[in-house]
Amino acid sequence: MGEVNCEGRTSREVNAEIKRQVHEGENPIVVRNPAARHNLCVAILQPVNVQIEGSVGYYCAGLIDGATVEVAGSAGWGLAESMMNGLVEVHGSAGNGAAAAIRGGTVVIHGDAAARLGISMKGGTVIVTGNCGYMAGFMAQKGTLIVCGDAGEAFGDSMYETLCYVGGKVRSLGTDAVIEELSPKEAGALDALLAQHLDSGERSKLPAGIDFKKVAAGRKLWNFDKREWKTWQEAL
Amino acid sequence: MCGIAGFFDKSENNHDVGQVLLSMLEGLACRGPDSTGVALFAPGADHEVVLRLKLGEEGNCSACLGALRNFLDREFRARHQLTSYGNAVRLKVTDIADVSTLAAGIEALDKRIEIVSVGECMEIVKQVGSPADLDRAYAVGQMKGTHGIGHTRLSTESKVDLSHSQPFGSHQLGDLAIVHNGHITNYHQLRRQYEQRKIRFFTENDSEVVAIYLADQINKGLALREALHAMLADLDGSFSCLVATANQFGLVKDQFALKPLLWAETGSFVALANEEFAIRSALPGAYDVREAQAREVRVWER
Repeated sequence: MGEVNCEGRTSREVNAEIKRQVHEGENPIVVRNPAARHNLCVAILQPVNVQIEGSVGYYCAGLIDGATVEVAGSAGWGLAESMMNGLVEVHGSAGNGAAAAIRGGTVVIHGDAAARLGISMKGGTVIVTGNCGYMAGFMAQKGTLIVCGDAGEAFGDSMYETLCYVGGKVRSLGTDAVIEELSPKEAGALDALLAQHLDSGERSKLPAGIDFKKVAAGRKLWNFDKREWKTWQEAL
Repeated sequence: MCGIAGFFDKSENNHDVGQVLLSMLEGLACRGPDSTGVALFAPGADHEVVLRLKLGEEGNCSACLGALRNFLDREFRARHQLTSYGNAVRLKVTDIADVSTLAAGIEALDKRIEIVSVGECMEIVKQVGSPADLDRAYAVGQMKGTHGIGHTRLSTESKVDLSHSQPFGSHQLGDLAIVHNGHITNYHQLRRQYEQRKIRFFTENDSEVVAIYLADQINKGLALREALHAMLADLDGSFSCLVATANQFGLVKDQFALKPLLWAETGSFVALANEEFAIRSALPGAYDVREAQAREVRVWER
């Protein structure tokens, strides 16, 4: 097991030390005293498990490919931004732009996410056990966005093929976002996915798969049509 | 960018508010290397007003200081106490009938003299430089109080000097300070409206209008919470703002959540900053830190 103490070190030094230990074959690696430093664990490209014992600042685990990063605390802006593959798990709340532009992998937030969750995601799975803020899923292209609590305003605005599932209320839908019927098969898949990432105690406090709302693109913005000028005027 | 920080002690003790704010600002200094400032609140004595004045930007301010001393000796002979800090002074005056007359009298002495803060329990100190520089100049780390807010500035649209630094107070209402991260895009429009009402602006900094706006709303009879909600409708642009008055402490975030702003609350304190790093480095312990949502308004009161 590897160990990195952040005390007295800059983010750059911590990241260099993590990468050095990854190359030496350490796995898992425990990162102590992070004190919400920025940019921790950015661009780790090996399937290593990193446990961060505390809160992290901005852009934690951004650009990773295949690593597992677990945060025992909250995360700042841009959590797992542009991740290619891997698993990022936060035991606390996340700031704006969590899981923005991810291409693959899974982000699990055991708490709330702030504004712009999963914007422009191009694949992967995002699970938030609590609520999410304003404009989640904006221009998201592929992948799955699951919010077990309530979703904020302008949810799922201008999306492509991302599918969203909301366990609680949606404060307002974004332009071209529509609520679609959830099939029992999809509900089953949702239950299986949640069971895979949440322990039974946490899962039991959340709605059953069949009670989630499914939000998808209404496809009105996919092709320009001047007869639908009104929709285009309202779109951002 | 800009760093903003706030600390509110829930206990009745005089906490080391200066030291906590200073540590938070050190954590935020990378967000704003141009200037640093704090507004500190401590219970004041009855019939006592404290003013912080700037006597010119740099260099020789002895003419202003001389004029100020003459004025005070003439008008408030045994009722004032003046402490000098380079080009700034702290002035304590007791038993005055009207603060605005005093303020107008002081500013009429010399156009280089500017009132930085006025209040019974609030003092603002700010200057160009780092948090460590501010501490060296004013011993902020030793200041006690109940709550306070601070700022580290990255200037984007107006000049770098003491006047354009934050926090901003308002001449219309004592014991009110704000710090702001963001841009007020309808600043010129609002400023024009206030100037038509003969309300004077002292800087070209858009953040100044936030203090003037909130003072105006409170003077109209709005509670702080209502004033912050009104601000969401009346001010455009991006803003994460902290505001403090004699007994209240609040935050507001714009409708697009364009700037970061985090808050942490425990049984003994409330801490606000735009980076968690700042809160964690100033206040060790186990507690949750959360990002404020778009249009979020929070007010704490003692």
